[in-house]
Amino acid sequence: MTKTVILIQTIVGGLGIGSIYALVALGYSMVYRSMGLVNFAHGSIYMIGTYFGIIFYRGMVAGIHLPYWAAFIVGVLLTAILGVLLERLFRPLANLDLMLMLLGTIGVGIMLDNLAIIVWGAEGFAVRSPLPSKPILVGGVSLLPQMLLVIGVGTLLMVGLQTFLSRTKVGKAMRAAAQDREIASAMGIPVNFTNAITFAIGSGLASAAGILAAPIVYVNPSMSAAVGIKGFASAILGGLGSIPGAIVGGLSFGVIEAISAGFISSAYTKGIAFIIMVLVLMVKPSGIVGETTVEKV
Amino acid sequence: MKTRSTLWKTLALVAFLALLLAMPKIARNDYQVRILNMTGLYILISLGLNIAMGYCGQINLAMGAFWAVGAYTAALLNTNFKWPFWLTLPAAMVISAIIGVVVGLPSLKVRSHYLAIVTIGLGEVINIILVNEEKITRGAMGIPGIKRPSLFGFTFNSEQKYYYLVLVAVILGYLIARQITRHRFGRAFRAIRDDYVAAKAMGVNTGFYQILAIVISGVYAGVAGVLFAHLNTYISPDIFEFRSTLFVLTMTMVGGMGNLLGSLVGGILVILQEALRTFKDWQLVFYGVAVVLVVLFFPGGVMGIAQRWRERQATRLASAAEKEEAGNPPSGEVR
Amino acid sequence: MLLEIENLTMQFGGLVAVNNVSLNIQEGEIHALIGPNGSGKTTIFNVVSGYYKPTGGVVRFRGKQISGLPAYRITALGLARTFQNLRLFRSMTVMENVLVSLGHHAKTRFWQHVLDPFSVRREEERLKEKALETLRVMRIEQYADEQATSLPYGLQRRVEIARALATEPTLVLLDEPAAGLNETETAELRDILLQIRASGITVFLVEHDMKLVMEISDVVSVLDYGKKIAEGSCSAVSCDPVVIEAYLGKEGE
Repeated sequence: MTKTVILIQTIVGGLGIGSIYALVALGYSMVYRSMGLVNFAHGSIYMIGTYFGIIFYRGMVAGIHLPYWAAFIVGVLLTAILGVLLERLFRPLANLDLMLMLLGTIGVGIMLDNLAIIVWGAEGFAVRSPLPSKPILVGGVSLLPQMLLVIGVGTLLMVGLQTFLSRTKVGKAMRAAAQDREIASAMGIPVNFTNAITFAIGSGLASAAGILAAPIVYVNPSMSAAVGIKGFASAILGGLGSIPGAIVGGLSFGVIEAISAGFISSAYTKGIAFIIMVLVLMVKPSGIVGETTVEKV
Repeated sequence: MKTRSTLWKTLALVAFLALLLAMPKIARNDYQVRILNMTGLYILISLGLNIAMGYCGQINLAMGAFWAVGAYTAALLNTNFKWPFWLTLPAAMVISAIIGVVVGLPSLKVRSHYLAIVTIGLGEVINIILVNEEKITRGAMGIPGIKRPSLFGFTFNSEQKYYYLVLVAVILGYLIARQITRHRFGRAFRAIRDDYVAAKAMGVNTGFYQILAIVISGVYAGVAGVLFAHLNTYISPDIFEFRSTLFVLTMTMVGGMGNLLGSLVGGILVILQEALRTFKDWQLVFYGVAVVLVVLFFPGGVMGIAQRWRERQATRLASAAEKEEAGNPPSGEVR
Repeated sequence: MLLEIENLTMQFGGLVAVNNVSLNIQEGEIHALIGPNGSGKTTIFNVVSGYYKPTGGVVRFRGKQISGLPAYRITALGLARTFQNLRLFRSMTVMENVLVSLGHHAKTRFWQHVLDPFSVRREEERLKEKALETLRVMRIEQYADEQATSLPYGLQRRVEIARALATEPTLVLLDEPAAGLNETETAELRDILLQIRASGITVFLVEHDMKLVMEISDVVSVLDYGKKIAEGSCSAVSCDPVVIEAYLGKEGE
């Protein structure tokens, strides 16, 4: 009985952290799919996105104190705008080979990280949850309200994204552009515009993830690396370039981490998750959801 | 004409070596010599990374972890069993090589960005082990009291003396890397990087060479780690973060991937980074901007610029010679 | 029998690229494989040289089963190939391209490359001499130090063949060696191919240039829709009504 309770509790916690990874992974996958760009600065966008929201929540800008939900919206919108601007910067990088792309985007990441340090300082702060900090008991399972908020809003965003991509005109154009850039632009789809929107959405989702996670984690400029790497690992685990893959990858990464922390060794949490990712890739190099392609000779 | 240019080259080389030998005397204090020593270590790691990535096209982002493995092997053997530097060095090379095989194995299955994340992941795992196996590694407290190396009663007990040890290591490391990359191993590496499918068809055992390239890179980083442990006499896990790998990656790319001299030139970046310290927090912002600019405008790094300049010079000479032969007056038709 | 292809089938998902093809190649002959585009010729090459594992059937080379072996092992056994769309090593000179193929004939070990520069240098001289011989056969020795991919197309084709010959094969698979060549170049290629056969190397050839095929081939096999529809001497095959229909049917579309 208690064992199942702990297991459920662990899995819910894992799904919470996993939602964060999934939202970050979506940014990697969407941008990769539409531009062919592996954006190693995405972790830094996540970090800046967190600050963009939290600074209004904590009254760090001209004493403006916004409620959490309003700070969330402002942060996501600001980060989306930042994404549009960054897309211009990344456009020339997308056509380079992987090593240059790697280095170029890492360069942008270093820039963003250190600008953040200059503006907001290197030391971070803890963020108070807008919800009560007392756990809710559901059938013996105790759940942190903020964690439920993360899972709830995360799910809403993922479903919303899927609907946007499959139902709206812009979303369909984005999918077409991702499928084949040349054909899409021949058909009159403004590819640069859809790329900008892709970047905006990817950055907005990262910001949402960061603001949601802020009351659970500690906010500081160096948080970009850890989540950046895990988000990328999630995207790869699910299959880079696949939207469902990013979600599945993120949630699995989170759950694996939580289970290994709870049942195997808390010290080796991160290590076990990485080892499982490596093993999955060895068995299925294209990731869990990704399609296997036959190499042309 | 040719003998004259070789003469000049020899003279330049001799002058350069003399400068290198005189460096500790030119440096104003111990701190500056320390920076030179660290530059040497970074150059060693960069040489390894250059072989794996620049020559063989195998992304190895576990370099920081290999450095850590080398340093910890040396530290543990030296403090627990009193092994001297001359024994910890080969021991660390063997262990880095073994771990190199483990990190290299996935390269048989995955490539490009997939290999990048796999090597990042395995590197993290190695670091996590070092932090958490406190009984052996003392975890975050680190290992103090590592002895400086000595040779025939001469102890490398100052920054200045250690400099010559590092200098010899870098020169040897460079010459060995040159021997490896210039002949058949280097050709097999480049064949794999240029065209994996064609390399296989020409009888290149691609898997073997891919793992070999990663093992070599790991051993180079391991050696640098040993040198660091015996230089600093104290090591802790926080000096081996992922950031150090990224730094080596940038210095190699700025110097020039696929060209060993690029790693030497990249070493200047270590010094440059120190020089930028006066700008405090803005230092790293400039650094990021510089990296982006290099990628966009000088993708071949410094060596790439040098190569382009030489090619332009060569075509100019060739077209001049052609004109002379044909007896044509110079015209604007040549690019 | 040098090469035996037995009931070979290659399926990609639902698509059957090669359907139950059997084919034998005798030592010392030039054996051409022809057929309309998409009839499965290159797929057969890819299976024989080890890029695909066949979904059915076996391939034997000098009596030893090679289907399923990795490509580099097949090459080491003496079966080399060229690629239809040139795949030269772009960072290398012509000489270096050929030297890559000689790699598995090198006698130096890794430790020697680290510690013994003298024997490495000697070995390098020996390999270069060998490479130069191959370049002479292909009549491109004067381009040895040029960047391979900077050469004109016709010469790149020859580098591609030189690279395959340098692995010292007993059987060489040439995938459309005349594609993109002009008439003079094709004539020269014909001489080179005959010279290769004369030196004792068996040639398995995929080619669209019928004139060239008819001039040099000892045996011609014809593929259509992944099936072998005819085989025999040039004259027999060119009169075969099934073959004519396969080709004319395609052209009539």
